[in-house]
Amino acid sequence: MFMSRRNFSLAAGMAAAVALTAGALIASTAQAAPDAGEPVLAPDFTGTTATGETISLSDFAGKTVILEWTNDGCPFVQKHYAVPPANMQGLQTDASESDVVWLSVISSAPGKQGHRTGAEVLDMNEGRGATPAHVILDESGDIGRLYKAKTTPHMFLITADGMIAYQGAIDDTPSARVSDIETATNYVSAAMQSVAAGEPVEMASSKPYGCSVKY
Amino acid sequence: MIRRFILPLLAALMALMPGAHAQPVDGGRAMVELIAERDRVEPGETLYAAIKMELDDGWHVYWRNAGDAGLPPEVRVLDGSDVTEAALGPFVWPIPHLLPVVDGEIMDYGYDDQLVLPFPLTIPADAMGSVQLNFLADYLICEEICIPETAEVSLTLPVGPSEPHIDHGTLIGKWIAKAPRDFEGEARIDASNSPWELSLKTEGGFDTGSDIRFYPFGHEISHPADQPLSFGRDGATLSLTPADDSLDGPLEGIIVVETADGARTGYTLTAGQGAVFEHTSGIAARAAATGADGKSLIALAIAAAIGGLILNLMPCVLPVLSIKAMGMVHAVASGHESEVRSHGLWYTGGVLLSFAALAAAIIAIRQATGTANLGFQLQNGPTVAVLTLIMFVIGLWLLGMFELGSSIQNTGSSLASRSGSMGAFFTGVLAAVVGAPCIGPFLGAALGAVLDRPALSVLIVFLAMGFGLALPYLVLSFVPGLSRLLPKPGRWMETLKQFFAFPMFLTAALLLWTLGAVSGPAAVAWTVAGGTLIAFGIWLARRGRGALTKVLAALAMIAGLVYPALTANSSTAAGEGNSQYAEKYETEAWSPERVIDLTDEGRPVFVDFTATWCATCQLNKVTTLKSNAVQEAFAAHDVAFLVADFTRKDPVIAEELKRRQRAGVPMYLWYPAGATEPQVLPEVLSQKLVIGLVTAE
Repeated sequence: MFMSRRNFSLAAGMAAAVALTAGALIASTAQAAPDAGEPVLAPDFTGTTATGETISLSDFAGKTVILEWTNDGCPFVQKHYAVPPANMQGLQTDASESDVVWLSVISSAPGKQGHRTGAEVLDMNEGRGATPAHVILDESGDIGRLYKAKTTPHMFLITADGMIAYQGAIDDTPSARVSDIETATNYVSAAMQSVAAGEPVEMASSKPYGCSVKY
Repeated sequence: MIRRFILPLLAALMALMPGAHAQPVDGGRAMVELIAERDRVEPGETLYAAIKMELDDGWHVYWRNAGDAGLPPEVRVLDGSDVTEAALGPFVWPIPHLLPVVDGEIMDYGYDDQLVLPFPLTIPADAMGSVQLNFLADYLICEEICIPETAEVSLTLPVGPSEPHIDHGTLIGKWIAKAPRDFEGEARIDASNSPWELSLKTEGGFDTGSDIRFYPFGHEISHPADQPLSFGRDGATLSLTPADDSLDGPLEGIIVVETADGARTGYTLTAGQGAVFEHTSGIAARAAATGADGKSLIALAIAAAIGGLILNLMPCVLPVLSIKAMGMVHAVASGHESEVRSHGLWYTGGVLLSFAALAAAIIAIRQATGTANLGFQLQNGPTVAVLTLIMFVIGLWLLGMFELGSSIQNTGSSLASRSGSMGAFFTGVLAAVVGAPCIGPFLGAALGAVLDRPALSVLIVFLAMGFGLALPYLVLSFVPGLSRLLPKPGRWMETLKQFFAFPMFLTAALLLWTLGAVSGPAAVAWTVAGGTLIAFGIWLARRGRGALTKVLAALAMIAGLVYPALTANSSTAAGEGNSQYAEKYETEAWSPERVIDLTDEGRPVFVDFTATWCATCQLNKVTTLKSNAVQEAFAAHDVAFLVADFTRKDPVIAEELKRRQRAGVPMYLWYPAGATEPQVLPEVLSQKLVIGLVTAE
């Protein structure tokens, strides 16, 4: 009654096919909910930038995109913008050098911590040496809710074919201490490298840490 | 002037005093202090220290799992300390609260106002003079915004014979006692479908009036999502919204059970994957059932009104009604129609007022006894036993074995026979008074369903019942001609009354079955015997004439009612609603003589030297000594459990501690059966250790 090797491989192949189909189904139905787990299509959005442009995620189809939820009043954000070591600025430079589009998103509601006008944002970024491709002013919180952004920072990496390859924390050391950056493993730069090399992202999802997004 | 000198002087004196001292440090939004349960410590001993935080209004810090955002507090050892990081054990995390940040989207778990975060601390074995503790409390504190704060806290503990710090020990002990205990039931998570079902099985089930929420250690579930709850006979089930598509391995966390009076108890659990346990779901919790509440209340009110209508047929009510109806026909014939109508309204008012009074009495009793719902009552052995006997006695009364309350009826009759509006009003009261004892057979179920509802619902159902009772008279007073249709009082009423005895006996049988499940077969046997004794007492009272017979009869009836209730109580595992812990915790005060007596008898003896200010003692009590497993092992092996309470200095206890070379509590002594000298157990107990000792007998 033992399965022959041939039958076994046939069964395994069928199982794999079923699993793939199921995975694709889950991915397509879960489009609006970019949760952890299986690769998920990044939902498209349209927003206004600090310079007054209107941009959509679909404008960058074919390029790797990084979404960074941010709030300059949040100590966890301040940790990663602190100079030195200018952790976030360094990642933004790496991104622009390898043709990755960096979009910072501010989902703070008017009157809440981190809410800024376009001019304020541009000033602030110049002051701290931040070089995102765009800063999206999402004061309604629609984009944040679409991506279920929970904290600042909360990072997403979207591949050229529009899949979320990474979502979660910036690194593996949840703290607001600048001194921890040196010893931390940075998930975003690891994900960027894997995607650039055409390899699967080893750590595809993590629990983001930081302040709550001030919707 | 004087104060200016005295305060610094006092401070200087305090600093010179041999004892632990520390100052609260202002971290910014919180005052932080390092405290310990000892004032003086011995080298090598392990004690509980704690970070105590007084938070500014509106600010909070986080639980071990902060939820969607935030970070738990940390403690690090700074330079200049006489201990290393290794000397610090893990935090004993108190039960957290929900901190909703964005409704339905971001949920955190943490604390506000005050947090005492205890942890074990081991004093170096080579400590001399004093032990210096310099710690850094590193915590994220949030209101609308978040601020990472640090506070350098220090404490100097003199080395010497161990000496408790009464205030700090008591405070730490109180917080440890509030920390989650191990869940003694079983937990399983069914993650095969979304939402996941967390099934909690525990002997005796949960109090269905309570609310339960699961706080995960990880992020497997959505933190802000509601957790719909349902109950069953043997437990409860929570629906959890997953955050991931699948669950690898077990789900760990705590459940927090909040009773109707706001008391919160936490239980740590690890739920392995598997199907939902039987009898842990099906009964919707109050919170989930709110939508259905209005509808079911209307149904109940209708049922109650029909029940009230049927009450009119009771032999105690119908004659009153018939006489009044006759009078009405006469009054109408002599042209007093309007008077008849107003009498009808007065009568209705009398009935309704009586029923409102009854409802108020029930609500008041419920309030006074804290028995918030019948689910609780039916898990309580004595209540079930007494209810069974009451049903039985009402049955006997319906069968005509004895007469009830004829004097009340007579007083009511004399009032009711007065003419005019007052007469009509008191007829209504009378109908309610004589009808009230008949409520049980018809409305037992409706009454039970309504007892755990808000006071207003109770009132509505009772008023509906009263309206049902008053309705025939009210209709007759407006349409007197209908009185022809009224059944004539006669022998058939007695027959009907006797017939209603049988539903009563059936109800008693059903309650007996419940009693068997709650308190075991012995309680059932005693309740049946008690019923026999009551019947005997009634029979005796009716036969006998002399005073002695009356006394004997009364004694038989009282014994028949009280003894079953006592047996139902002693054998019950479900005494206090939520039965996960042996709340009885039977103890006996310790004395050297008592130990000698017991060991002479050959009984094994366990002595707990404890004090309210001793944190370690509280921890051992919660995790080990109070647990069902240990209590059962004690009971099974006939272990005498003695408690020596050292909360107040007691020379005899102090002497015993000294004799065993212990500076203080906790101390646990174990005398195996037949032994005269005890084993001194370690300061930190575990269930395994204690049960191992007991069962090794």
